[in-house]
Amino acid sequence: MVAYIIRRLIAGVVLLVVMSIVTFALFFASPIDPAQFACGKNCSPAMKAQTAASMGYDDNFFAQWGKFAKGVFVGRDFPDDPKLKITAPETIAHCAAPCLGYSKERTSTVTDLIKQTMPVSLSIAVVAFAFWIIGGVLLGVIAALKRGTLIDRGLVGLSLVLYAFPTFFIGLLLLKFVAIQWNWVPVPEYTPIAEGGITGWLSSLLLPAITLAVFFMAGYVRMTRAFVLESLSEDYVRTARAKGLPKRTVTFKHALRAALTPIVTMAGLDFAGLMGGAIITESVFNYPGLGKLAVAANTDFDLPTLVGLVILLASFVIIANIIVDVLYAVIDPRVRLS
Amino acid sequence: MTDMHSNDGPYLSVEDLVVHFPTADGIVKATDGLSFTLGRGKTIGVVGESGSGKSVSSSAILGLHRGSSAQVSGRIVLGGTDLLMLSDEEMRLRRGKEVSMIFQDPLSAMHPYYTVGNQIAEAYLVHNDVSKKAARARTLEMLERVGIPQPDRRIDDYPHQFSGGMRQRAMIAMGLINDPGLIIADEPTTALDVTVQAQILDLLQDLQREFNSAIIIITHDLGVVAEMADDVLVMYAGRAVEYGPTKDVLTHPQMPYTWGLLSSVPDVQGDTNAALIPIPGNPPSLLNPPTGCAFHPRCVHRSKVPADLCTTTLPELLPGSQGPGHTKRCHLADPDELYRTEILPEIMPDLIVED
Amino acid sequence: MAISKKPFAALAVAALATTLVACGGSDGDNGGGSKSEGTAGGNAIFYNGVRNTEHWDPQRMYIGRDLNNSGRLFYRSLVAYPASNDPVKGTTPIPDLATDTGTSEEAGKVWKFTVRDDVKWEDGKAITCEDFAYGASRNFATDVIIGGPANYLFTYLDIPTGKDGLPEYKGPFKKTGQDLFDKAVSCDGNTITYKMKKPWPDFPQSIASLRYLDPYRADLDKGDASNFQIISNGPYKLDGKWTEGTGGKFVRNTNWDAKTDTIRKALPDTWQFKEGDTEETIYEQFLAKTGDANFGVTERRMPPTFYSRIAEAGKLYTKVESPFVDYVLPNFNSPVFKDIKCREALKFATDKTAWINAGGGERAFTPAYSAVNPSVPGYEKNAAFGDIPDNGDIEQAKAALAECSAPKPVKIKFTYSGGTPTSDKQASALKAAWDKAGFKTELDPLADTYYSVIQKPDADFDVTWGGWGADWPSIGTVIPPLFDSRINITPSSNGNDYGNYKGGPEVDAMIDAAYAETDLTKAASLWAGVDAKLGEDVAYIPLEITIFNFLHGSKITGYSNNVSTNGYADLATIGVTK
Repeated sequence: MVAYIIRRLIAGVVLLVVMSIVTFALFFASPIDPAQFACGKNCSPAMKAQTAASMGYDDNFFAQWGKFAKGVFVGRDFPDDPKLKITAPETIAHCAAPCLGYSKERTSTVTDLIKQTMPVSLSIAVVAFAFWIIGGVLLGVIAALKRGTLIDRGLVGLSLVLYAFPTFFIGLLLLKFVAIQWNWVPVPEYTPIAEGGITGWLSSLLLPAITLAVFFMAGYVRMTRAFVLESLSEDYVRTARAKGLPKRTVTFKHALRAALTPIVTMAGLDFAGLMGGAIITESVFNYPGLGKLAVAANTDFDLPTLVGLVILLASFVIIANIIVDVLYAVIDPRVRLS
Repeated sequence: MTDMHSNDGPYLSVEDLVVHFPTADGIVKATDGLSFTLGRGKTIGVVGESGSGKSVSSSAILGLHRGSSAQVSGRIVLGGTDLLMLSDEEMRLRRGKEVSMIFQDPLSAMHPYYTVGNQIAEAYLVHNDVSKKAARARTLEMLERVGIPQPDRRIDDYPHQFSGGMRQRAMIAMGLINDPGLIIADEPTTALDVTVQAQILDLLQDLQREFNSAIIIITHDLGVVAEMADDVLVMYAGRAVEYGPTKDVLTHPQMPYTWGLLSSVPDVQGDTNAALIPIPGNPPSLLNPPTGCAFHPRCVHRSKVPADLCTTTLPELLPGSQGPGHTKRCHLADPDELYRTEILPEIMPDLIVED
Repeated sequence: MAISKKPFAALAVAALATTLVACGGSDGDNGGGSKSEGTAGGNAIFYNGVRNTEHWDPQRMYIGRDLNNSGRLFYRSLVAYPASNDPVKGTTPIPDLATDTGTSEEAGKVWKFTVRDDVKWEDGKAITCEDFAYGASRNFATDVIIGGPANYLFTYLDIPTGKDGLPEYKGPFKKTGQDLFDKAVSCDGNTITYKMKKPWPDFPQSIASLRYLDPYRADLDKGDASNFQIISNGPYKLDGKWTEGTGGKFVRNTNWDAKTDTIRKALPDTWQFKEGDTEETIYEQFLAKTGDANFGVTERRMPPTFYSRIAEAGKLYTKVESPFVDYVLPNFNSPVFKDIKCREALKFATDKTAWINAGGGERAFTPAYSAVNPSVPGYEKNAAFGDIPDNGDIEQAKAALAECSAPKPVKIKFTYSGGTPTSDKQASALKAAWDKAGFKTELDPLADTYYSVIQKPDADFDVTWGGWGADWPSIGTVIPPLFDSRINITPSSNGNDYGNYKGGPEVDAMIDAAYAETDLTKAASLWAGVDAKLGEDVAYIPLEITIFNFLHGSKITGYSNNVSTNGYADLATIGVTK
């Protein structure tokens, strides 16, 4: 098991290296010149060249990636200008290892940006996850157990409808009516636990989490229903009934146990994806999380931030994959990790 | 014996059992008027192709169709009680205790996430108010009895860690842990190697003697029937087409479908001259069964029946030339003669001489 | 989602422009909005919306909104514009941190200002002449202080240019060439002297419009790390720190003395700046009149989907003509539009009305007749465009096209900043009109890559789109940045001269003459002459002027869209009621 995890981690690191190279490459292939953008509208060619140099965009592709990779291990100084270090050391920003870069556009190390925005995304993800797992799985199980009844048809129909609505639409709807028009809740504004306590934090997350959860929940209702139905028709469920077990035991101990295994996998991966920021939800509700940061970084061609976010998100997914695999082995004794 | 009904008649009596499944396309008549009886300590073999209704009928005896859309009617009298008249809860309490089932393919019939011991003990705990420890002891005892080596070690293994034969032994242990009066074994050896098959059948027979249980053995393998069953019931398209004492049916089959079954059995005795003749055509649709005799589209002897009797009239299940205990559902006038002259020489050339 | 996919376009649109005339015949000192006098106290909110503030460093700021807001709340300059919507008063600098509006010597080549002796920084230290000199010096550290309008100082301030095309002074961090700077900008007691290479008659306007000559504290300067640091000398100071993407809160600066300041009323006790809200969220809140947004104002324009609800907004609605002009540019490097007759055919064929209607109609745009906005002093309807009907002149277009040397039908490629349904609709409207005259137009929408593509001198488009606003009230900040080939065109880039227009010696001389004229009124008419010449050459074809449609919170008082703040809400006079 340990050997397996180590092997997977090594593969994950290789994947991260590849992804960082690909992100750099895509950035380089683009005809957009970030130095031109940073330099502003009244920018002579000489100023642009100087801007490119000071942002580190004048080096070739490999040198830039090399500096980035080195920074991850030993840290970097921005700007890395030997003369400036002597004459005005107070203007040098040090980015300690593991340094994912320094965003000139946001005047901050990428690590600091992530530290600032990740709690927001994580909060939305956690609360939304709780909503959609509890709601989606519960309703999916009910639909499956009440198969063919009005309840089942109602739930399946509703989830289809909700699934068809784009997230931003649900978000705008909630925002426009629940918060603005009817004023049932204040217009949501992210409140950290440190500021508002658990209640303040939770209530600030209500609308965004519901928005996000509704979409996932709709999918999970349908998925859970399908898995439970499939599991109910398994031979071992028939065996359990043939033994004379009460219906409750058959349903919960035998059918659900098997049905929920694939849901654990999906949920783990979905959650990992969400930790990287729910771009649409964060934009609609103006929550300063990773998703909004990614959009902003994309708008102003902020390579360091983009690379940092790609790597962060990729690590989430890689780690989640490993966790899910390990979890799967714990749940399903047939899976041997070797 | 305190069972007041035990001597009144056969232990199990199935009368005119009907199992219909309403579907969007119409009614699937999986079992349509099945009757048979079975005494304590006796074995009946139910034979037929897949889809002939044999598994559906046995599931109906166990009450497994309850809670589904299936329409079940007729009478299933077990030890004097009509199982179809019981409430769901009363039936549940009998399931696994008085009637138990040994399933085909124990790999899928056992839950992959629970240990073998856990699953067997569960069957005991649900019907007996004992501690988990006592259930475990009983489980060990049963595992030992069915011939699992080192049961104290294997009890905590998962099904996938067992070999096919061991899994089937474990299934048997699970089925017999409550000393049921009736055991339904659904293709208990199909998934197993030939050598293991024999061991399992021996085990079942041993246990039957020990517990004096009645066994319904569902199979498509006439070899199994020959070895195990006292009576045999051949099913086709949801109905019994031939029913009688095993020896009688196997030696003097009265119905072309039974002939077909016999000819499609590989001869284990090793007669290489025997022709293996499959039954032509496909099993009939249960949604729109053929008119008249359901077997007529596949029957090569149809022409020997006058008029269009085979295609228009469903033959009754009636005694043939072998006495009242051996019934068949066929319009052929003299099936014995036909079998002896046309069928036997082809499938068992060696046996003709003896006959 | 209202996420800008057109950063350069956004830059251009949000760029600073100065004078502006309010629509709807508004007269008097205030633009549209409530005329009620505000009362002191309460908390006001400014919504930055989805366009985050990129810099609060005065030497780096170049976005009209941020220049205005900081100037009204926490940064003071030597001179500033009074809060007024009068086209003359609102664009004429008055003393702010200086004792007067500056004196010039040697025909505008030397400028002197005297710093008041009773003004302080937020920490109580006096604002000195040296602080101003230091602020100016920061512009030269373009390797650290990136993104500002420093190029103006590079052009004018008397510091030699090195081989690398940049001044030989490298700013206060590296200190290379410090003596050169100290000669150009010097202090004598409280008096600061700026020495220029050439006359700069509208220098005070540039100080009042931009913030690049604001004072700065050498002892608090961390270079790039100071980007969001605010060292206030105005009525408010930042409470805590600025968070990019979220905003910050401003509270009263007790070291600001109202007696020294005639411009800023500083009515609310606090100003909350919020970043990241979509236009839809902001405007829904204004309309719903619920919650905190009642105390809010914004620079974000009303999305067209809200036009139908303007009546619902009542007095909260204001409308002003923006300081920007949009136009199309024939590519002088294209085989077709090398020929003046082909350009004229395009000029006559252009249907402004169709373009405006496709873009949202008269709510959104008003037709333009010059690349210069009518609010800029010296504006005249360009004779080359003024007489053509707004929907084009198809007969003249066909006649001109007949003389066009390009093979018929004349195939042209229109490269524009696309990616939105509106921009595509507008482009199609133009194409329809051009094709009717005999062109065969291929549409080439580009999103993120738009400016990177059209800035290449060898790009293969025939027509492209552009938009601009003046940096301060002078045509000198419109025509040369757009059409002076000497400052724009290099082998690798055409700068802002997307049409690759080269005026040649005649136009160059006209530009130089206009720059040299120290009488601003005379200079304005010289600039108008340059514009007329551009019209004759069909260097551009004007399309329209964007209309700003705004709402504000229902508890806002003293709201006005002043010319002194480019038509945006003037925070100097705004207050809130309870």
